[in-house]
Amino acid sequence: MNGFTTKAIHSPFAVNDSHGALRMPVYDCVSFELESAEEMEAAFAGRKPAHAYTRITNPTVEDFEQRIKAVTGSFAVVALSSGMAAISTAILSITGAGDNLVASKFLFGDTYSFLKETLSGLGIEVRFADPLHPETFERLIDGRTRAIYLESLSNPLLYVPDLASFSAIAKRHGVALVVDTTMTPPYLFNSREFGVDVELLSATKAISGGATALGGLVIDNGTYDWGNNRLLSACAKKYGPFAFISKIRKQTARYLGGCLAPHNAYLLSLGLETLALRLEKSCPNALVVAEYLNGRAGVKAVNYPGLLNSPFYEVAARQFPRLPGSVVSFEFLDRETCFEFINALRLIRRSTNLHDNKSLCIHPASTILSHLSEAERVEAGVTQSCVRLSVGIEDVEDIINDIDQALEWRA
Amino acid sequence: MKYKVNGEEREANGTAITVSDILTNERVQNQDMVAVQFNSEFLNKALFNSTSVKDGEEVDFVYFMGGGQGRI
Repeated sequence: MNGFTTKAIHSPFAVNDSHGALRMPVYDCVSFELESAEEMEAAFAGRKPAHAYTRITNPTVEDFEQRIKAVTGSFAVVALSSGMAAISTAILSITGAGDNLVASKFLFGDTYSFLKETLSGLGIEVRFADPLHPETFERLIDGRTRAIYLESLSNPLLYVPDLASFSAIAKRHGVALVVDTTMTPPYLFNSREFGVDVELLSATKAISGGATALGGLVIDNGTYDWGNNRLLSACAKKYGPFAFISKIRKQTARYLGGCLAPHNAYLLSLGLETLALRLEKSCPNALVVAEYLNGRAGVKAVNYPGLLNSPFYEVAARQFPRLPGSVVSFEFLDRETCFEFINALRLIRRSTNLHDNKSLCIHPASTILSHLSEAERVEAGVTQSCVRLSVGIEDVEDIINDIDQALEWRA
Repeated sequence: MKYKVNGEEREANGTAITVSDILTNERVQNQDMVAVQFNSEFLNKALFNSTSVKDGEEVDFVYFMGGGQGRI
């Protein structure tokens, strides 16, 4: 069983269902009964593999985690309630007051604010650097740096960091390489192959597919020695490579409480089974859209690393050998033109979210990045004239026709 | 000889027993997701077959599911 989709569909669930159910049932319940006081004691001490309370673990959620583990070939997986729950839980598991992170300055708006505002309030410093120049990260690393934090593809400008360079820097300094891969989910990107120690992603996006459920994933590739992290060194002595996961399960996720709802785990498992099929449709669609927009009158620039004239074409081809996702962004002359274009769309929906089956369009500066100051948006490279398209799985002629009529309308 | 598993005393014939045999005897499932400690130190899975537990020594194993104690 080697293929991505075969594993996604056939990874066996551990429950011996009395009805022979072919799919993991939804255990939509809060607690589980154990047979005796002794069994309860053993379960709570971790000596018995039993579920006790859904905030901690749940069979349907565990089945989803095991499927993700199977398709990614990772060491361990924890599924949580959203992408932001995955990010906050993972970061708060490896950093404490006095520590620092060195992070990309081109980040998803909520991640940027979490790192800059929430973490600084906890005494955790975040040093922002340019991911297109890995040496700027290396200069900021010191003895209290716990991780390098990146996105595999920046949103909405689709910059591609050279992950092999970052992996080399992380290894040289003994810090973890943590990468949000939401824009290039499993099937498009093998994070372990490029030296990523911890992969974080919003399962809400490509894995859900039809935008049916929120969810987030923390994926430990088992490649980092957690004994190097002062918060986890005692854990590493007891639990070895399980140190990070044990910290999440036994402390951070448990106390922050961002557990994944069992029904959402069920929906995300369904989505995982068709992830590759949908990406095989949406990514080529995105390339067609990018090629169509490239050079069109009134379109100043098109960002898609799958375009031959993209400055990121080579590194994207190396890191994402199929295609670099299904998001395209482009620049008009000004904000007014962006709004006119967006308002003229008939098929493509005006909505946030990414990797939905439907094509979606948004003006990032006035929406998902509106909580940033103008100076922060400029630093992040996002202008008022930028439009982002998340290209769906519709027939590409219909997507092109809609873009075409919107461009014609404003012309 | 006598040894301890998760704090409980066990007995075995002979002078030693491997960690692998102990996990089998204890019916430990999903060994990929179980952390094993030998005399309070983490033991790598690759060493389960070759590590002999002798009289007075201790083996602990922990699943990362279920209730799980809060302290780590």
